Formats: sequence, C-alpha cells, structure tokens
Amino acid sequence: MTANILEVTNLSVEFETFGGTVQAVRGVSFAVEAGKTLAIVGESGCGKSVTVQSVMGIIPMPPGKITSGSAKVKGEEILGLTAIEANRYRGVEIGMIFQDPMTSLNPSMTIGNQIAETLVVHRGKSHSEALAMAIKLLDRTHIPEASKRARQYPFEFSGGMLQRAMIAQSLACNPSLLIADEPTTALDVTIQEQILELLTELQRTEGMSILLITHDLAVVARMADQVAVMYAGQIIERGSLDDIFYRSAHPYTLGLKSAMPSNTGRGDKRLQPIPGSPPDLFSPPQGCGYAARCPQAMQICKRKLPVLTEDPGDSGHLSRCWLQHKDAPDVEELYQPLKLKGTSSAH
Amino acid sequence: MLSYITKRLVAGLITVWFIATATFIAMHLVPGDPLMNQKAVSAEIRLNLERKYGLDKPVVEQYFIFLGNMLTGDFGISYTQQNRKVNDIIKDHFPVSATLGILAIFFATLGGILWGAITAVYKNRLPDIIIMFLVILGISVPSFVFAALGQLLLVNLNQLVGQSVLPVAGWGTFSHMLMPSMVLGLSTMALLTRLMRSSMLDVVNEDYIKTAKAKGLSPLRIFFRHQLRNAILPVITVLGPQIAAITTGGFVVELVFAIPGLGRYFVQAVQQLDYTVIMGTTVFYGSFLVLMVILVDIVYGFIDPRVRLQ
Repeated sequence: MTANILEVTNLSVEFETFGGTVQAVRGVSFAVEAGKTLAIVGESGCGKSVTVQSVMGIIPMPPGKITSGSAKVKGEEILGLTAIEANRYRGVEIGMIFQDPMTSLNPSMTIGNQIAETLVVHRGKSHSEALAMAIKLLDRTHIPEASKRARQYPFEFSGGMLQRAMIAQSLACNPSLLIADEPTTALDVTIQEQILELLTELQRTEGMSILLITHDLAVVARMADQVAVMYAGQIIERGSLDDIFYRSAHPYTLGLKSAMPSNTGRGDKRLQPIPGSPPDLFSPPQGCGYAARCPQAMQICKRKLPVLTEDPGDSGHLSRCWLQHKDAPDVEELYQPLKLKGTSSAH
Repeated sequence: MLSYITKRLVAGLITVWFIATATFIAMHLVPGDPLMNQKAVSAEIRLNLERKYGLDKPVVEQYFIFLGNMLTGDFGISYTQQNRKVNDIIKDHFPVSATLGILAIFFATLGGILWGAITAVYKNRLPDIIIMFLVILGISVPSFVFAALGQLLLVNLNQLVGQSVLPVAGWGTFSHMLMPSMVLGLSTMALLTRLMRSSMLDVVNEDYIKTAKAKGLSPLRIFFRHQLRNAILPVITVLGPQIAAITTGGFVVELVFAIPGLGRYFVQAVQQLDYTVIMGTTVFYGSFLVLMVILVDIVYGFIDPRVRLQ
C-alpha cells in the first residue's frame, strides 16, 4: 500500500446563485497515490473542475461554499484554511495548470518573472537567483532558447509553449502533486500529445503524482493509473484504468465508452450517443442522477441513491449503481450490443 | 519605437492643421467680425481699420496669410486687447492653467485609482455603495457648484481656526492651488473611479488571477502585482483626453477662484470674435491635446508590453 499524497473525503460544494443553490459537488471521495496519476473524467458541468479548485481553495467564495468534507495533503487537513495558511501548500506541495494557457498567465509580466515569483515567495530566493532557476525550469519543459524566452511576454508565446511555461511554473517548488485541470483541451491534437508526453516524462523524472481532470477518454487511457468517473456532482465509478475500461460497472461509463470513436473496431460501427442531458443540480434527483438516461434503470434507481459499493471480485473498484446490488442482474449481460471484453476502445 | 513616435507626430501635425482650418472656417461663418464689437464707427474709419488688419482681403487669402504666420509661430496681435500679442497671452496665462490642470489630474488619477480599487474590493458592500453614490454626484453636479461649495468650506474653516489657513481665492502660492485643483479634478476623479472599478472587477475574474492564487501568492501581492497593473490600462487610455479637457476646461473654476488662467481669454475671444486670439488659443490647445494623446500612448506602451511592437 503506497502512501496517499492527497486524500479527499466526502467533499460537497455549493454555489449560491440568483436562481437558487447549485449543488455542484455532492460527496466526492478519492485519493491520489504517490507517484501515480488519477484521472477524474466526466462531461462538462459534472463538477470535476469545481472539485479540484475547491481543494486548491481557488473557487470564488462567495458564491461558492464548501459545505462538508475534508482534503488532506500528506495527512494534513487543507480545507477551511485562511488564504495565508493555504499558501504553505499552494504552489509548494501542489502545483496547478489550467485549461487555457493563453489566458492563464499575466499578460503584463514576462514569463521568466512569473515563474521566478513563485520561487521568490516560497523559497526566499533573490530575484536574480530565481530568474536563473526559472530559465532552468523552462529548459526542463523543453522550451528552446529558454533564457531569451524568459524575457518575453505571454503574447509572444504559442499556446503549446504557454502550457509548457505553465508546467514549468507549477514545478518551480518541486510539488509532490500536480493538478492538471483539462491541460490539453484548448490545444490542437499534435500539441496535446506533446504536452501529455512532457507530463509523463516529468512524472518519471520528478516522481510527482498527477491529478488529471479531463473529459477525453483517450487522454485518460494514455495517462491514468487510477480513474474516477464523475456524473452530476458525484463519483459514480472509481478504480484502476483496467477496471474502468475493461470491467466497467456503471452504465454511464459504458455509455461514455460507446460514444467514443475507436480505431480498432470495424468501420461500420456507429457511435452511440447517450440520450438526454444531465440532471438539474439546482434540485438533484433523490435517486441516481443517471436514472433518467440509463437504459438499465430500475424502479429503485429513481427513488433511492445507490451507495458506492466495491466489486466483490475486484478490490478497489467501486461503483455507485443499484446493479451492483447482490440481487440485481449483471450489467454486461444487459449491455450486450457493446461486447465489452476484449474489444475495448481504450486507444 | 522611434519610427512609431515620428509617425504619430506627423499624424498629429495633420490633425492640428485640420483643427486650425476647421476653426478658421467656423470663425468666419459666424456673422460679424472683431470690429463690430467696438462702438459704432463711421464707414471710413471702419474701412481703414479693415485695411490695417487685412480684413478687406478675400477670406482665402486671409487663410493663407494666417497659415504662413502660424508656421513661423506668430499668431498676431489681439484685436480687443491693446498691444497684446497672442503669443504673450498664451505665455502669460497658460502656465497658470497648466499648473492647475496638472495638480487636478494628479488628484483625479490618484483618487480614481484608489477609490476604484476600494469599491472593487468591497463590491456591493457599504464602502462601495457610499463611494459610488458620491461618484454619481461628482459626475452630475457641475463644477461651479463644487467651486462655490469649496469656497464656502474654506471660509468656514478659516473662521473656525481664526486665521487664514487656505486662501479662498486668488493665485500665487501652493495653498492657493489646493482647493481649485481638487474641485477641477473632481468630475474626472469620479469618471476614473467608475472606470477603475469595472476594470478591477473584470480582472478579478481573469484566469491569471486564479493562476496567481494557485501559485500560493499572498492576496496583497496578487492585488498589487497582478490585478492593479492590468486594471490600470483602461484608466490610462482616457487620461490623455482628460488631461487636455482639464487644462482647457478649467474656465469656470478659474473664474470662481479668480485665477488668471488662459481659459478666460479663450472664452472671451470667442464672444468678441477676436480672430487672432481664437485661432491662437485653439491651435495651441489642439496641439496640446494631440501631444497629450501621443504621450499617453507612449506611456501605455511601457505598461502594456503588447502595444510596444506595433
């Protein structure tokens, strides 16, 4: 059993809006192991970004409010800290990169100064020392002519280069965890691959853990050791990469997979979209959030929320579905048209 | 950078020529001429005067004479003030207006940025509501009301202390400048406060502020290094025209506080159709405005790196 770098337990987050209270995250628990990658996957609005941003303490409060739960970095509680206290781990223990590198860097500060700033603040370096280290960091993220680039401003960088600079910045204090919030969504596919390659390489050399937020199953398959699937503010399935792709237990995970294009299947296979749309989180349904769209929905699904249960034959593979109940029929039998085992579309 | 400045200066010269021409045409379209303001004179004297001042020549010829003189920096002699060169009027009175204006801009910018930042931090809470109420007052109440109120305040203050702390009117020392420049800068300060407030609120929602938080920077550092600098940009943009507006538009405040500024001559000249003074002051103010706008653009380039290379 490896040590957990980050442990989130039963996290709930709400947003007060004019239309009412949105329950964006509803009791989410997960852990990131040392040196491993956990991918949180889910569609837009499922609460995955809110989850990690709450952990980082960077959701706007108000209107945001963490109503319950805990998050521990190396065993130390980090929720409910003041901004000053939280800065002991933000940027130090946890680095973070964002979806859109074009807007995530300060337009009126040079790249070098922005990276150096972290070192000045957390490591007490002088400005020139920090700048020299910043150039090394840019070098490590494979930015050519790093010392010249460090003097340039964000508008002089391309999107992919900016994301590299963001990564360099987040690595400044050697964090044990890197949170990557949809790091490749705003980039085109070839650049995407380069960034993922860089992250893999850095994880190998630095030994850090990665918490990857994405909606792209291909990225998950490429990067993750552990996967958590989120839907309507809850984790509905959690397990190893193989658990999720080859032994999917939740109908939503199955639905996502059959909606994903594959290059291993025959050309005549049509993608199956999931009909309907996610539930309104102003008043989440009392039963399972997916029940309304689920082809396997039973009577109980609409009335009562299933608990996260572990697959008896598969340790560490949890899912939140009534089909996992001992009296329920087997999921994969019900989902015949997919023929999951062996014909995975993991890549 | 140098070619950029040269380009802007050439464009500025064309603008000034355009201002001069437009003013010249407009001035001659107004019925009457400088001589009509005098007591009724006989036809012969009038003719002589016209000949003396060159007013008998065709307007087009007058225009070219004026342009030629302008190029040598000579705006001629006032029609209504005996033996006073227009250049002397500008030289004597513009420094007064400029000093007043610069002080006013100083108050306005400092106050605008400060109040704007405060209202943004306390958005929709009491300090914000109070300041924004005062801002509406500052924008909508005309400056002569504030000028009078300011004087009243000074009178009461001086009475309370029993001696003259700050002079109520006049010009000369720094203490004379304090109240009029604050009054003059008030509406600009109100305008800048609003601008700064909305710009600060825009910046707060920017992604790079989120990045700064995730980097573990202190709120104070984020505020000064990441938020303020980016929020000031729109404020600086309007500063050029505002500087010109304040230095030229101080007429009313100058009048109330009995300050010998250029504004008074500018307005009087138009009322009396004092051709040379109108042209002199307008072209001078026009060039000043153009220069300020260019200056602000250059300063802007230093603050926003994206502007520099263009």
